[in-house]
Amino acid sequence: MAELKEIRKRLEEIEKLIKAEIAWEPVGPTPMPEVPALRNWDMRLLKTYAPWYAPFCDLCCLCTFGKCDLTEDRRGACGIDIATQQARMVLLACLIGCSCHTAHGAHILEYLIEKHGPDKKIDLGRGIEVEAPHIRTVIGLKPETLSDLKIAIEYVYKEITHLLDSVHTGQEGSYLDYESKALHAGMLDHVGMEAADIAQIVGFNYPTSVAETPLVGLGWGAIDKTKPVILVVGHNPVTSTALIDYLRANNLYDKVEVGGICCTALETTRYSDRAKVVGPLSRQLFFLRTGIPDVIMTDEQCIRTDMPIEASKAGSALIATLDKAMYGLPDATEMATEEIVKQMVGEKKHFAILEPAKAAEVAVKVAMEIAPQRKKEWLSEEEAKGLAERCNDCGMCERVCPNLFSIGDGIIEVAKGNFDLIREQFRRCIGCGKCEEECPREVPIFKIMQTAASKESWKIRAGRGPIMDTEIRNVGASITLGTIPGVVAFVGCSNYPDIEDLAEMVEEFAKRKYIVVVSGCAAMVAGMKKDADGKTIYEKYPPDFDGGGIVNVGSCVANSHITGAAIKVVNIFAKLPLRGNYEVVADHTLNRLGACGVAWGAYSQKAAAIGTGCNRLGIPVILGPHSSKYRRLYLSRKEEGDWRVMDARTKEVVDTGEPAPEHLTYVCETKEKAMVMIAKLCIRRNDTPQGRAIKLNHYISLYKKYMGGGLPEDLHLFVRRDADLPIVYKKEARVYLQEIGWKPKEPVGLPTLIGTYPSKVSVDSVI
Amino acid sequence: MSATVPFHRVNVLTGIKSARMIEDAGEYAKLIKRAKRPLLVLGPLLVKGSLNGRFLIEYAFEIAKSASIPICATGHVKVKMMEAGVKPDSEYDVVEIINALKDPDWMGVKKEGNHDLVIFFGIRSDFAEQGLSVLKHFAPHLKTMTLCKFYFPHANYSLPNIKKDEQWKEFLEALISNLRG
Ligand code: SF4
Ligand code: SF4
Ligand code: SF4
Repeated sequence: MAELKEIRKRLEEIEKLIKAEIAWEPVGPTPMPEVPALRNWDMRLLKTYAPWYAPFCDLCCLCTFGKCDLTEDRRGACGIDIATQQARMVLLACLIGCSCHTAHGAHILEYLIEKHGPDKKIDLGRGIEVEAPHIRTVIGLKPETLSDLKIAIEYVYKEITHLLDSVHTGQEGSYLDYESKALHAGMLDHVGMEAADIAQIVGFNYPTSVAETPLVGLGWGAIDKTKPVILVVGHNPVTSTALIDYLRANNLYDKVEVGGICCTALETTRYSDRAKVVGPLSRQLFFLRTGIPDVIMTDEQCIRTDMPIEASKAGSALIATLDKAMYGLPDATEMATEEIVKQMVGEKKHFAILEPAKAAEVAVKVAMEIAPQRKKEWLSEEEAKGLAERCNDCGMCERVCPNLFSIGDGIIEVAKGNFDLIREQFRRCIGCGKCEEECPREVPIFKIMQTAASKESWKIRAGRGPIMDTEIRNVGASITLGTIPGVVAFVGCSNYPDIEDLAEMVEEFAKRKYIVVVSGCAAMVAGMKKDADGKTIYEKYPPDFDGGGIVNVGSCVANSHITGAAIKVVNIFAKLPLRGNYEVVADHTLNRLGACGVAWGAYSQKAAAIGTGCNRLGIPVILGPHSSKYRRLYLSRKEEGDWRVMDARTKEVVDTGEPAPEHLTYVCETKEKAMVMIAKLCIRRNDTPQGRAIKLNHYISLYKKYMGGGLPEDLHLFVRRDADLPIVYKKEARVYLQEIGWKPKEPVGLPTLIGTYPSKVSVDSVI
Repeated sequence: MSATVPFHRVNVLTGIKSARMIEDAGEYAKLIKRAKRPLLVLGPLLVKGSLNGRFLIEYAFEIAKSASIPICATGHVKVKMMEAGVKPDSEYDVVEIINALKDPDWMGVKKEGNHDLVIFFGIRSDFAEQGLSVLKHFAPHLKTMTLCKFYFPHANYSLPNIKKDEQWKEFLEALISNLRG
């Protein structure tokens, strides 16, 4: 009785928070879900896509009961086994990621509410009526003002606390339940990201509902180093927008150069198309060591933790602007501006300044004063050769390189006057600095790299935020039926085996008329390659959310717009309600929307959260080889897996035998393999024969191009009827299918997982 | 005994169960011969790599041939194999083959039962380490072995860190002749 009362009370609270009295849509079964609400959905996913764990080590070192050896079925002193311990670490990673995005959102929101008031209306421009697909779906709220976004953030905060609680020693004992919680954290992450980006768009008046955003300068070659240079690093645009405001207000807009690294660069160019994107995370340390930035302003996430050391080495001034990363610096927020400037210029001191306008003013003043005295010369080839001669080929640098290549060989070649190898290696360098740190001869490897680094500049299209409803209306049918072969999102950090992989992959799929979406560091790197006519992909392909278009949505938090676009298809095209209706939306995405995420260079815990959020929503994700260090994948065993679905029309359970999509999280070692996999993971059970033929056409042709001829061994699993066979390969495929004794089967009319596992949701709600 | 540090320090083992380091090709050959159903998993480093002018993949072919070991091609290795006129016995990515190997009831690439020894060759060392860790922890029914020139702590049997390619070449050649003999 008491329990029932509790539940009723909670429901009442939720209804109040989500303004249930406003009947824009009926409230679905899971508004503001807690973990158990979607657990059955998770367990159904995890049945087909079982967690695959690759432990780093044999031990758990989390508490004073241990450390505990978990090899060979041993359990820790708390009772945990190795799989559950891995799942616990994955949940922890997802929580870190989710917290980063959500706290970033909360911080921006607080700042903007103070600036504009809580009632500032959310208006994302013409063409965007479904303003917040995640918030609508997960929370059940249609946010109208900034303070509505706060409701979303507070919900995520509360859930994070519950999830974090569960990783304590002596709690959850099942890896599957930890995975369900990780999936929950992933879902929350997209809510947090969405709230953050909507707040930014509204509060900073970023342009939106335009596809044709400006092309902005990319690369250090785009930076005019004859001017004072301010470098913003991180993810949170509160400071960089204040900086631009200050420059504009003081007539200095032309006189000071603003460049950014990581997502804050993308955010800044949405506010000012004169700002430059220096590059991705992998270029951070390199660029710091060029000494080009006169002042560095850090905010949060993906900034180097040795900033004060690096800034001092290069003679740059450093201002930490957010409480998340203060580096032990004195907090000068209350100090007089002139005094801070004096100490920064005269005594080369670094400070934390937590008031954005003040930090901006100080940064500009310091940059203007110190720039004229600083030398920002690039190393000449002759000088590099001289420095490289110090190398005695000991190989220490190679041993510590996380990208596993021998920069030492490159240095030795430089000493001989040959720069070819180091140029190639620079493309593979993830910019960690371990090599230089370890070198016993103190060879300044990063400085030498200057001669390898191209000084050219490229163009990147400024991030545009959400996909317009009108665009969704135009492509919804083609995506769902499969005639647009897929939506591929290249997202994430820059931990690549080779930086050029990205541009190559992006172009391959744009040429094939997939819808290509990019964000974060991946968006930058994709632009760092020119064709024979000197054009980057952003100049060659239209910026539309349509087959053959390349859309830069923006920073990491804008990843919510990519998954948001999937949700919008469900709502706008398939006309399914979103409000508190997560399971139906995710089921629709899994079974009918040919989308695939690629985080080729993922390094961040945020990427773990984003990817896991995609997975809960039914979107598979492909990762690059470094990401095996995330320790967990979701893999199916295609022949042995459970591929049964309910046909929502006939209400019959059908064994499709069709692994579509085959995996939920997958790691590839090479870009060649990744490209074949992308095409395959865009296959969905709902494809029409025409759509399936198009998808198989790409799968087969990519396989032939990169795998060395023949037909994929699993082709038969994806051919339902002869009509599914692409015309070009019909003859060859028919011979193959006959050889292996393939039998046609009827495609399922309306495939859904709902009805194949215990759920509150009825099969009828997917129609 | 002090622990061997793998060549690439990102692969340092934190734990207690590390690979037996074997330098003697004869001993390696014995272990392989003793296996009932060995499997050779080839990685993409073999596509470009060469050893004194001879493609690495050729060594792999010879090892496979001399001990009749089926080959599983991962990544885009098949391209190179087809060029050389060799059809792999199976084609799975590293994570896929490992996922299958984990299941004791899997019938193996020849459908004769799961493998008891899996030999990895040509996979980037960090990725291979992660894969070997999966098998170490979740596939007690099989043993793992590596042929690359670095020490892989998560394997059961591994070569040491080999400084000179010449030495590595000697090992591979001796292995081949031992397997033939
Ligand atoms: S959390 Fe458990 S397994 Fe880990 S150290 Fe503590 S007792 Fe051991
Ligand atoms: S900075 Fe580049 S070359 Fe040096 S260790 Fe890191 S990835 Fe390797
Ligand atoms: S660590 Fe230094 S001396 Fe040794 S190979 Fe590398 S660059 Fe040369």
